[in-house]
Amino acid sequence: MLVSSSANTALASGLPDLRGFGARVRADAATTPGALRLLATLAVVVTIAFGAVTHAAATDRRHATAAVAGHTERLLVEADSLDSSLSDADTTAVTTFLTGGIEPAARRRRYVADLRSASRQLTTLTQEVGSSGTDRAAVDTIAVQLPVYAGLIEAARANNRQGFPVGAAYLRQASDLMRSTILPASARLYAVEARRLDSDYRTGVGTPAFAVVVLTGTLVLLVLAGAQYFVARRTNRVFNVPLVAASVVLLAATCWTLVAFGLQQGSLSRAQRRGSDPVEAFSAARILMLRAERDESLALVARGGGDQYLADFGAVVQALDGSRQRGLLPELSRVATRTGSLPSLRRYIATLNAYLAQHAKIVGSERDGHFSQAIATAVGPHSTETRLASRMNTGLGAQVTSAQRRFRAAADTASADIAGLWVGIPLLVLAAITLVIVGFRQRLGEYR
Amino acid sequence: MTGRLALVLAVAALAAVAAGCGSTSDRTLRASLQALRTQTPTVTSAPSPNLPCSAAHRRDPTASLRPLEPLPPPSGLPQDSYASTIRHRGRLIVGVDQNTLLFSYLNPFTGRLQGFEIDLVHRLAGAILGNPDAVEFKAITTAQRFPFVQEGRVDLVVDAVTITCDRWQEVSFSTVYYDAGQRVLVPTSSHVRDLRDLAGEKVCVTAGGTALTYLQTYARKHPAHHPLPYPVAQRTDCLVALQQGNVAAIASDDAILYGFAAQDPYTKLVGPRFTDEPYGMAIAKSHPDFVRFVNAVLAQMRADGTWRADYRKWLGRVAPTPAPPTAHYLGSR
Repeated sequence: MLVSSSANTALASGLPDLRGFGARVRADAATTPGALRLLATLAVVVTIAFGAVTHAAATDRRHATAAVAGHTERLLVEADSLDSSLSDADTTAVTTFLTGGIEPAARRRRYVADLRSASRQLTTLTQEVGSSGTDRAAVDTIAVQLPVYAGLIEAARANNRQGFPVGAAYLRQASDLMRSTILPASARLYAVEARRLDSDYRTGVGTPAFAVVVLTGTLVLLVLAGAQYFVARRTNRVFNVPLVAASVVLLAATCWTLVAFGLQQGSLSRAQRRGSDPVEAFSAARILMLRAERDESLALVARGGGDQYLADFGAVVQALDGSRQRGLLPELSRVATRTGSLPSLRRYIATLNAYLAQHAKIVGSERDGHFSQAIATAVGPHSTETRLASRMNTGLGAQVTSAQRRFRAAADTASADIAGLWVGIPLLVLAAITLVIVGFRQRLGEYR
Repeated sequence: MTGRLALVLAVAALAAVAAGCGSTSDRTLRASLQALRTQTPTVTSAPSPNLPCSAAHRRDPTASLRPLEPLPPPSGLPQDSYASTIRHRGRLIVGVDQNTLLFSYLNPFTGRLQGFEIDLVHRLAGAILGNPDAVEFKAITTAQRFPFVQEGRVDLVVDAVTITCDRWQEVSFSTVYYDAGQRVLVPTSSHVRDLRDLAGEKVCVTAGGTALTYLQTYARKHPAHHPLPYPVAQRTDCLVALQQGNVAAIASDDAILYGFAAQDPYTKLVGPRFTDEPYGMAIAKSHPDFVRFVNAVLAQMRADGTWRADYRKWLGRVAPTPAPPTAHYLGSR
């Protein structure tokens, strides 16, 4: 109907060569072979359309899934590890300073290891992020400022070893550079990559693909059923075997696509809910813990003049705290429930509370003027607080690592779930087209 | 056959709907990003009112309250005096700097503060509590000095505070315990001889310090040729700025510059003193009896030679030991 009306408009606009085409088609359709030819064309066109649409939807999902499993997740993990390495480096440097003139070798090793992994992560990120955009700008900022930071830390050490107070000024400048420039850049980078992963998830599970496949699948099956009905009535044969076979093949293709999409969607959703969600939540907790630790050290370095650091400590604990609606802890427990790591989370909360008790003790000692006692409690060789903090850090880090493993497994499954569609759907559609043509040929042959 | 196919299709559709509904959510992402965005709360002190100072202090800013006579022993402090409040508390709380080499600095090897000013504080603690070590030191920044005294967070501040007429509006001062003066520190390679050679150059000063005020006044007097002040939050940051080549010189009290020169052999003090910076201990205006007590302790130290001994101990290497600064007292008791 639509075709003929547009054909009429074409006629009206004056295309004399096509004049009579519509009439010829109508006349042709009046005869049985003509109608069969028309039906065959329609069936083939609809089948091709189904194949094209399904293939496009599958390709979209395949790309999005591959992006999630490969590039995006790697970027996110690198960005997150970079943030942790940098935070840990600064926390270690500041805390080491507190221990006095001769730094403990273990702390120095931890600082150097942090710096080394930060540089390595930075190299990967430099290669992976695009040549422009927020993430590139952030990577550039870190790449430019990190050597400056490391230089300031070494100047602080060299002066401190000679007992010169200017060492503390270098340390302060280094930590300021880290906190005001480098860490914000790495946080921006992390946010960009996390949002990108989120948008890849959305593309990977988009509902339109489902609807499109269901719609075109139903349409092609209806057309084939109609053709069978027509053929049965016009030719007095109940079944046309090739046409029935074509229907079965297409039904199978539709079901396979839907099942594969469903499975892939399930896997991707698992990748997020049991993989990247825990990665994000636990690493945020870890970074906040490191920040709190550094705040306390900076407050002790400032010897009573560090009110702003204690205020930051309070803000960080509030951002973590589960007793408030906006805290990270409720989200952590939701995520931990999914992954069955609730007992571990309870242990971390207990550790955090023990840590906060130690912190209160340290602030109390400092307020009462017992500096050496405060410092011994905070960083001394038998410091409970150091043990608690490192237990938190290791524990949260282990959660992040195992969530990354879960993520990778689920994302790989998601890729595998729809891997076959790429080749399978075109092949099935080709088979269906061949069957349709064969089926109609048999009937048309009877009219020759 | 068809029933099974329909079942598969139905299951697929159900799975699709189920997966489609609960599949992705950025809830965790938003929660963690928001937590990571936690801002540092700003800590501010109220600005101090700018009142004109009294006629007596305009004549002589260093004139303080007359000392308590005679100085009572720790066991015989007057009942309602502030000194007895401190004794009752068990420790003296003092705001100091921890980065001024020779005057007041942290020894990283012992973890203890030491220096000329720190010794004065220990002697004061001995006079009040009978125990020179019963002191709680609070390291403060230059800008925190007066707010800390006014808010009662410290009993006194001993932190290279210059006594000026204006500052008497904010706090009370003891008699002078050290006579400093501003000078200029430059790299040994520099040809600068005094402030005049620094026109158009950046000169580091501490925010809230007297050197900044002096440079601003200097700039008003010489609008065409004057140094450009480069203020930093803490004193030692100036040495960092000089070592990094961000400034051509540091303007500060010689007492502080001696300490800088001791940390960096490639620097030198040049030019004459261009100001007088009499240092006094800052005490809350609400405790005049404590000012008298502190003045009495200082008077005793001037008289019995401990002032000279402490000076020689810390500054003997960089400057010849002078006579203790003369105490000036306000006319009436």
